[in-house]
Amino acid sequence: MHPLTPGERAPLTLPSPHGREGGGGWFPYALIAPAMLTLVVVALVPFLYTVYLSLHEIRHAQVGDWAGLANYRTLLANPRFWHSAGISLLFIAIAVPLEFGLGLAGALVLNQGVRLRSLIIPVLFVPTMMAPVVVAILWKIMLAGSWGLLSYNLIERFGILTGTSVLASPSLALYALVLVDVWQWTPFMMLAFFAGLQSLPLTPYRAAAVDGASDLQAFRRLTLPLMAPLMAVIGLLRLIDAFKVFDTIFLLTGGGPGTATESTSLFVYKTVFDFWDLGPASATAVVIWIMFFVFANGFYQIARRKLGAF
Amino acid sequence: MSARRRIWMPLVAVAMMAVAPGFAAAQAWSYKDAAKPYAGRSITILDEVTPLQEHMRTLVPEFEKATGIKVDYQLLNHFEVISKGQADMLSGRGAYDAVMLHSPQMGLLLDAGVIRAIDDLLGNKALTNPGLDRADFIEPAADSLTRFRGKTYGFLNWNYNVVYWARGDLFGHPEEKAAFKKKYGYDLAPARTLQQMRDIAEFFTRKKGEKLAGQTLDSDFYGIVMEGIKGGTTLWTVLNAFVKNFGGDIFDAEGKPTVNRPENVAAVKFWADLWKFSPPGQAEYSLIDVPTVMGNGIAAQTLAWSDFVLGIDQPGKSKLAGKFVYAGSPANAQGKKRSAETEPSGIVISKHSKQPEATYLFLQWMVDKSTQQMLFDRSGGAGVPIRTSTWALPSVKQSKFAPLYAAMQDSLRYGSAKPKAPKLFEIMDVLVGLVQEVGLGKKTAEQAMKEGQEKVQALCAKCTL
Repeated sequence: MHPLTPGERAPLTLPSPHGREGGGGWFPYALIAPAMLTLVVVALVPFLYTVYLSLHEIRHAQVGDWAGLANYRTLLANPRFWHSAGISLLFIAIAVPLEFGLGLAGALVLNQGVRLRSLIIPVLFVPTMMAPVVVAILWKIMLAGSWGLLSYNLIERFGILTGTSVLASPSLALYALVLVDVWQWTPFMMLAFFAGLQSLPLTPYRAAAVDGASDLQAFRRLTLPLMAPLMAVIGLLRLIDAFKVFDTIFLLTGGGPGTATESTSLFVYKTVFDFWDLGPASATAVVIWIMFFVFANGFYQIARRKLGAF
Repeated sequence: MSARRRIWMPLVAVAMMAVAPGFAAAQAWSYKDAAKPYAGRSITILDEVTPLQEHMRTLVPEFEKATGIKVDYQLLNHFEVISKGQADMLSGRGAYDAVMLHSPQMGLLLDAGVIRAIDDLLGNKALTNPGLDRADFIEPAADSLTRFRGKTYGFLNWNYNVVYWARGDLFGHPEEKAAFKKKYGYDLAPARTLQQMRDIAEFFTRKKGEKLAGQTLDSDFYGIVMEGIKGGTTLWTVLNAFVKNFGGDIFDAEGKPTVNRPENVAAVKFWADLWKFSPPGQAEYSLIDVPTVMGNGIAAQTLAWSDFVLGIDQPGKSKLAGKFVYAGSPANAQGKKRSAETEPSGIVISKHSKQPEATYLFLQWMVDKSTQQMLFDRSGGAGVPIRTSTWALPSVKQSKFAPLYAAMQDSLRYGSAKPKAPKLFEIMDVLVGLVQEVGLGKKTAEQAMKEGQEKVQALCAKCTL
């Protein structure tokens, strides 16, 4: 066995116990069977049932006649759905790049061997480990109009934003929610990237130093390409997760003021649990799934071909 | 005692019992006997968690001891009671024998046919306490909640209501009283009308550095605080404490949407005008935040749910405890009909319950006069009455909350259950966002009500059952 060089991949599987390369008969399938079975039961079956529901009339939670695409037509003609999709996209378009950029910057700083790193790293886990409901309560206390620790002491007291409050302002509430998301998830990105940086091989950097490469050149030519697969995976996971954001919005603004912060998750929740309109709600779930499947598949193909991820 | 009196006394007693047959029956009837066929059975009840229900939970073992019926009395928060209870009833799963419903839920569940009417159980002499005294339930709350198309769907279990709540220390301050009288021409006192409430809001709105009750303010002070969040009970307070007092409503007598009628526009305009005297974060304030703000002492008055007030006006809960004053929800000075926001709620038997009789016995016991008395005694006189007779209980009359009870009694005279409309939650969601935008100055009342009419009409041409 020779040491890996940059760009060279480790084998993804252990040698076959049957001694055959690329074969293995039933054994590999047996190994993944429990996971696949769990996935089928907890993900595929409910999803297929959701598709089934979306194609039927549902009144008072009772499945009625075949409705064809009527629920989809109702949904796609509903401006509130498109508005909520726009809110979700705007949310991820701002939050995820911020978390990504700040996380990477923070990871690079941590990687320089800053003082008290062993203390800082556990502290960075705290926001990510917090339950969303705790995060929401914490930020409610920080941003509440008139008495919020942050909103009053740092904003209103100095005559900024008087007569309104951040979460009550239709033009600012979404950005406040972005702030909360960035606060919660940037440390996670930072730690994930830091772990990636720690695992990079030193040899190429030594070679680059011998060649007289600057820090910026080493970052552009070595760190970014070597980190690209990890960044693609973490970025995709964060995008998916950010699109699903629900708890903090539900607890901090309830989708308001007006519909200024009503994301698709909140729209689906209301359609199901407040309005009991299960047909269009199922159609919404399916449409969001298709959107994400197309997006994630495109992202996967690009990341695999261009960045060597996955 | 003369011989003649000795002869007459038993005769008078017999005559009295003949005239009042219920008296003898009430003496003979007991939960123990009524529950004999059901002893050993288990029932599951879903209720909402507030301090009222937590006190009720401590009494449940008394029922179990008396009847031998095992009760799993589950308490969940407001949102979970609605989602989990409705899901259970609509899906037919039947995990709960009875579920607590807020009045806005009644339309959907009656339309789905999943609530069991209790008229047959009420008529069953073996099951129904002759001393139940249904005429004693507070009206119009009980009837508007439980009666529908000639049938009865449960009892009035909880009787939430909104009262007027103000700072007595400010209202009694000599300088403030004199200044108010000079400016408005009448005495400063808890508002009886919405117009007085506006005057008071305007009068007490002060900036940092100004004087309030002789003290220099180190932060802004607000004349009023109200619920303004998108959700909660914001819309219902706007509708019942303002719109209906202006003669408006969102449906006509046939249940057709009338959101944009001029009375509604005028009322929403009046309500939104009060926002300029309110704290900046009002659009985030829920029914829980409003009492907190009042307890913190940064606003002069509010309209608040009385059961939450009970939690704030207590030593240790607010530095202002004991300094508050109360009144019923204010009327419109120019209005012909008075209205108040109340939320009568009941626990209904699920159509899927396998134990309707045992469940009925428990629900009946919950609203029984003796249970209600125990509930008030157990809670130290802090509750919300469902029976007229409760107002006369010593634990209520001698309670430190007696002025609050007087305010509750006044509000409850003018509050009813919400209309029985299957799409009421969707309608509420549309309208609450619109009125909130009027409060925030993003839309005019005319624009919001016009938009509301269009959106509600798109949901239902005839909205009520």
